[in-house]
Amino acid sequence: MTETYLAPLWISLRTVLTATVITFFLGIGAARWMACYSGRLKNVVDGLLILPMVLPPTVVGFGLLLLFGSHGPIGKILLSIGVTVVFSWWATVISAVVMAFPLMYMTARGAFEQVEPNIQDAARTLGASEWRVFWTVTLPLAWPGVAAGTVLALARSLGEFGATLMLAGNIPGRTATIPIAIYFDIQAGENQQALVLVAIVLLISFASLAAIGYWKGRTPRTRGFLIN
Amino acid sequence: MLKARITRALPGFELDVDFKLDHELLAVLGPSGSGKTMTLQCIAGLTKPDEGRIELNGQVLFDSDAGINLPPQRRKVGFVFQNYALFPHMTVTENVAYSIRHLPASEVKEKVARLLNIMNIGPLAERYPKQLSAGQQQRVAIARALAPDPDVLLLDEPFSALDSQLKERLELELLELQREYHGSMLLVTHDLTEGYKLGSQIAIYQAGRIAQCDTRQKVFAQPVNRTVARLTGVRNLMDGTVSRIEPPYVWVRIPAWDVQLKAVMREGSNLAFEQKVVVGIRPEYVDLKQSDGENVFSSRILQAVEGISSITYRFHVDSDQQAKHYINATISKSNAICFKDGQACLLYLPPEHLIVIPE
Repeated sequence: MTETYLAPLWISLRTVLTATVITFFLGIGAARWMACYSGRLKNVVDGLLILPMVLPPTVVGFGLLLLFGSHGPIGKILLSIGVTVVFSWWATVISAVVMAFPLMYMTARGAFEQVEPNIQDAARTLGASEWRVFWTVTLPLAWPGVAAGTVLALARSLGEFGATLMLAGNIPGRTATIPIAIYFDIQAGENQQALVLVAIVLLISFASLAAIGYWKGRTPRTRGFLIN
Repeated sequence: MLKARITRALPGFELDVDFKLDHELLAVLGPSGSGKTMTLQCIAGLTKPDEGRIELNGQVLFDSDAGINLPPQRRKVGFVFQNYALFPHMTVTENVAYSIRHLPASEVKEKVARLLNIMNIGPLAERYPKQLSAGQQQRVAIARALAPDPDVLLLDEPFSALDSQLKERLELELLELQREYHGSMLLVTHDLTEGYKLGSQIAIYQAGRIAQCDTRQKVFAQPVNRTVARLTGVRNLMDGTVSRIEPPYVWVRIPAWDVQLKAVMREGSNLAFEQKVVVGIRPEYVDLKQSDGENVFSSRILQAVEGISSITYRFHVDSDQQAKHYINATISKSNAICFKDGQACLLYLPPEHLIVIPE
């Protein structure tokens, strides 16, 4: 009996952790790059990066199917090396990353842009390479925002349903994450099972909210911070 | 030695300057928005000039013709920002040591201790910036900029946010620092007094160009044109024509007042009969007299504002028919013999304090 709870729990755990780690680095990387980029296409690129957040998840899922399906541009290349993404566990990770990325990216970028430019310029005049400026000055000062973004990404990955269903499907033991398991349990009339899973998700979500609230409260306002 | 030739387009005007700096403090004075800060940013590498060449102690930092533009991290330029820009998440020690962390620990420790001592902030070593007062933060900012032994120190209005007492103290400390270390410093300020106090050389900026760059004595006593005179506080400027030359004196006729002023000719001035000039005198040098004489005229007080130890006047010279050319005067209370609006006084413009500027 515990298997019916353990399987979705275990799949969600692996998916969420993997997706959050990937989103963390992708989001910070994109945020850092966009915060410095000042070309004419800035708004266009920004819009593209945020797109998955505004589109209905099923639409995103459909788009991913087109990309990763056996006739899609990425799917074809992967097929040639014997890899199928559709209906695999990796599909749950890909869907989660695509849906969570905009949140991580936006929050991290906002946090980076809030760090006073003069402070970063000061680090440069003191001989720090761009990399060192980022690691020792920008990131530490943007940390609470970045942490909040990470928690948001985690929560979003956990709750991802629409795109996951399209790309990964409902394969118990392989791609059935908690949200998918809840949906199909209700469909099958297994309300008891569904309730347990719902409780687990609620618990994690509230914990995430508390963490986000904590990190937001710790953001040092670096603008105007220094003049007493 | 710093040699800088910079051209850069700015909203409304173009920055176009060319100057040298060698082991002295050059004070850059000028109104807000005249390109002073932009100059510092170009030298530090934080902004790229459109065209020009910047060379520091033989190393080329920027050369538009040769396509050289060193990033700020590779220039040995120290920068002290107007709002200090300290790292809020690091202690004073960590801030100061930031640029020298790659050195052996004992050397870092010794260097930081020495710098903190010089700037009189030794006991604050373990504090965070938010626990410091503005003056203390500024000291940390200077110590931090000096840590990597920069070839030139750039200061962008470093004392403008401080109260006057603190400002004076820090100005003196900076002056001592420069004298003791014989360093090259470029200080941007909009405060005339501060610029004069600190700068052995002064550059006056006006809409992106250097109107005059010389020793402070020359800039303040022999401004090269009306603009520089005005920007250095010569608030009384009158158009005139040279009417008589008898070295060491020159007489200038002021049509607006219908008077003739006698002035002392500066060394090296080349004045000719009938030459058009501008005559100026600082408000502090205008004097009051009891009796008539050379350079004395009767006038009436238009406005008298009492200060702490002096009175600021606006006089209308009686012979000024059009009533447009006033004299501004600042006279110490002990010398003031008339105070009330409308009162008649005899004004005296001492010949040795009159500035004659060829047009």
